[in-house]
Amino acid sequence: MNVLEVKNLTKRFNGLTAVDRASFSVEDGEVFGLIGRNGAGKTTTIRMMLNIYFPDEGEVLFKGEKTKQNFKDFVGYLPEERGLYKKMKVIDMLLFLAELKGKKGNQVLKSAMKYLERFDLADRKNSKVEDLSKGNQQKVQFIGTILHDPDFLIFDEPFAGLDPINTNLLKEIILEMKQKGKVVIFSTHLMEFAEKMCDSIAMIDKGKIILNGKLSDIKSKYASKNVSLSYNGNISFLQNNNLIESIEDFGHSTGIRLKNYNTDQQLLKLLIDNNIVIKKFNVDEISLHEIFVSLAGKESGDVQ
Amino acid sequence: MFNRRTLAIIKRELKTRLFSKSFIIMTFLVPLFMIMVFSIQYFIQTMAGEQRSDIIIISDSDEILNKVQNELMKTNAFKSGDLTSFTEKVELSQFEEKLKERKSDLLEQRITGLVFIPSSALQSKEIDYYSYNPNNSSLFYKIKPSINKALIEIYFASKQLTQDEINFARKDIDISGFRITSDEEVTRSGYGNSIAMILFTFLLYMALIFSGSLTMNAVVEEKSNKIVEVLLSSANSTELMIGKIFGTVIIELIQMAIWLSPVLLVLTTSWFMIPPEFMPQMSIGYIFYFLFNYGLALITYVSLYATVGAIFDNPQDAQSGVWPLMMLIMIPFFIALSMESNSQTSFAVIASLFPFSSLIVMPARMILVEVPIWQILLSTVINIIVLLGIFKLAGKIYRIGILLTGKKPKWSEVLRWLRVS
Repeated sequence: MNVLEVKNLTKRFNGLTAVDRASFSVEDGEVFGLIGRNGAGKTTTIRMMLNIYFPDEGEVLFKGEKTKQNFKDFVGYLPEERGLYKKMKVIDMLLFLAELKGKKGNQVLKSAMKYLERFDLADRKNSKVEDLSKGNQQKVQFIGTILHDPDFLIFDEPFAGLDPINTNLLKEIILEMKQKGKVVIFSTHLMEFAEKMCDSIAMIDKGKIILNGKLSDIKSKYASKNVSLSYNGNISFLQNNNLIESIEDFGHSTGIRLKNYNTDQQLLKLLIDNNIVIKKFNVDEISLHEIFVSLAGKESGDVQ
Repeated sequence: MFNRRTLAIIKRELKTRLFSKSFIIMTFLVPLFMIMVFSIQYFIQTMAGEQRSDIIIISDSDEILNKVQNELMKTNAFKSGDLTSFTEKVELSQFEEKLKERKSDLLEQRITGLVFIPSSALQSKEIDYYSYNPNNSSLFYKIKPSINKALIEIYFASKQLTQDEINFARKDIDISGFRITSDEEVTRSGYGNSIAMILFTFLLYMALIFSGSLTMNAVVEEKSNKIVEVLLSSANSTELMIGKIFGTVIIELIQMAIWLSPVLLVLTTSWFMIPPEFMPQMSIGYIFYFLFNYGLALITYVSLYATVGAIFDNPQDAQSGVWPLMMLIMIPFFIALSMESNSQTSFAVIASLFPFSSLIVMPARMILVEVPIWQILLSTVINIIVLLGIFKLAGKIYRIGILLTGKKPKWSEVLRWLRVS
């Protein structure tokens, strides 16, 4: 079920279109990645989802209804450029962030202490934020993001500037939230992370969504374009066949690139029908990075 | 406008600032600072008067010389040694020569000045003063009454008048100011209200500039700290702005109330021994009006300062963008101070009704004269309308500016923000 739908979001700055009719949807309980290069429009999209920027066009639907102010209460947001009040005590800072989300009292205090203990910061609860190391400040920021037990977590480039320990910690948090059935949305330019962690993705380039869907579907769709084949027989009949874009023949092993996705089974049938002895027929795994590079190079119009 | 998010922000402001060292220090430092400024001024004035002066009095008449010297010797300045004088009789025709003779003494300031009182002064009261520094008003202040007295005595001595009549002629006029209000009683007015006006205006001016810059820097810091985006994921920019402004306003009002409490005690109790001529004629209602007006002024100016803070992302740029605001506070401040000599000029009346300036001029005017109630109400209504307008504009600029970092925006861009939103 789609809990969050982004419809035709558009934002222009001084005549430049930063985000152009971006649409995608996020299902309940999934980890969703918004992927693109720096400057592609990820942060602007996220800010519009949170109503930090008012979109010029389009809307964001939460469970089918237009998002209102109280939507923010269900969201924990970790912006790319993180910040805290430097002069505040750690515990006061956390309680203030929770109070803004409408959570206060003993329950939050307990929960804050639990997280501080878990992240080895319990003894620093009365320290000023500025007295903590940068890594520890990041931890405080994580706690501030999840302390009010949000249903949605939105992380903008969450792994930027983190040390390895905090990178792992954040991964842990994301997985834990997923297990609890929360929706995690994060933007990243690191395809590797997205590939490992996301259930669904939307790829954004120059402000436009160029690819969107379940990661497994996308991969199976794109993977089937490259086939490596080991065989006995004569495959010269494949030349000029309209299934094929190009063939690199090395004698007994050949790399075939198909014109269209999901035509690998047709190719296999063609080979068998022509009495080729197939020793190996391997439809390549393709990485998200390769998909991105192949798509972002083209005009988005003919991709969708 | 006020919801749990604004309240949470206000609460945080109070918690972090009200109990901070800087608040406590400021609360005590500002009165100290003001006392210091006033005492330095007093000190400099007395210093100028206390400079030692040595003068020569020259005349062609022995009678004049004797009388003047007699009178001078009776002055406090002479008794304390700040003034010495000796006399020299010189015929009119030889005066030029005498002056040449004394020229080097005057130039090297071995003598402060040479006072020439010809016998014709008994008719014309015109005397000459020769000095390296001929515009020494503190010296004139000391010697003029004595010389005048001496001339009057000589002049009237031949007129066969009684001493009483001479005394009457000699006496200067003494003007007593009485303050007319719509109340029954007519009160004798001293310096009290003028001093109170300067004090209150100064306090208002300092407090506004100080709280304004403090807020501006806090907003700039939130921006450069990047905390603002985290806050915006919970609250919207208007809530953020309102929380910030009202947090500041509450804190500053508390501080002002602390500063004014001694004044309340002066007015309502007899614990302080204040000489009657320095005792201000002021009602307790005025103190509450002052606080209320200060609240309005704070909201107005603090919103503007916060907006300037939201436009820039570092303190240096913000400082350079704040001068129009400084003008909005400084000009009324000087208008208010100028009312000390006359508070009823039409300029002062207009300034006490005009937006922005009335916030500072009206409370000052009210100390000096009884302002018609309709003028007070009118200025308050005008201020509230202006404040609402500012709030709207500030909100628009704040919303766009607060997330903008990097290049320093031009004023033309800021105007465009007003149009697009």
